Amino acid sequence: MSMQALNKLVARSIIDPGVVQAFSAGRIEDVITELDFSTELCDRLSHLEAESWAEYAILAYRYVKAAEEREVRIQLPSPLEGLLPDEKRAEDEQAA
Amino acid sequence: MIPITREERQWFLRSLAQGLINYLGVQEPPVPVEDLLKNPPPLYDSDFGVVDMYSNLWDATFARPPSQRGSIFVRIDLDPEERRFALARETLSALITSKHGRAMGLFDLLLPHLRESAEFFASYLLVPEPMLKAYHEQGGRARGVAKTFSIPPFSALQRWEDFHTIDHTP
Repeated sequence: MSMQALNKLVARSIIDPGVVQAFSAGRIEDVITELDFSTELCDRLSHLEAESWAEYAILAYRYVKAAEEREVRIQLPSPLEGLLPDEKRAEDEQAA
Repeated sequence: MIPITREERQWFLRSLAQGLINYLGVQEPPVPVEDLLKNPPPLYDSDFGVVDMYSNLWDATFARPPSQRGSIFVRIDLDPEERRFALARETLSALITSKHGRAMGLFDLLLPHLRESAEFFASYLLVPEPMLKAYHEQGGRARGVAKTFSIPPFSALQRWEDFHTIDHTP
């Protein structure tokens, strides 16, 4: 979702001077907060420092990509799950 | 300028191409690249233009004569598909040397790999990801890409290969 928001923002920047103007004026936060980023990403992207809009976009891509990869890793089940027989798993859960 | 990977550069180019597609508002191929150049977004009024030339030296090249509108000078005798691809490729030069492109920092980011970047940009401008996805989902095959999107066969083949690798990254 966040990557889609970033894709849209970069796509918009090629035809909307407002995006680059906001970046140059140090007001990119105003644009970022309108988009579908998590609070943490929103905060990070609002305070990224870069020499140009293009450089900012690349740095933002790195942050968003890393955040989405972390999210996927968190969603993955433990590798131990599925190796234990159902009875043993139930016992473990009961004991816990 | 920070060092960037090819993957990052390609992501950036895909997003720029998509921005122009969004501006055009086209939903189906072929993407009217020549219309875009002749009726550009207001931001590029002094950067986009097409001039037909008799030349045996090159297919198309972007030039910005001093104090004049930038234009793509294109060989008059090209096949329509080759013409479209050459115009789309040179559009990147028009973008990065434009006032807005320079303000964005495109010049520094893309100039070191301009030729490769321009070819990649052209293939995504003429064959946008959502359109190729729809084509694929409707049973479209590799051999039909050139005709459907009105691009040269070699470029179509390359774009089809990219579709199965690059398009499925974020």
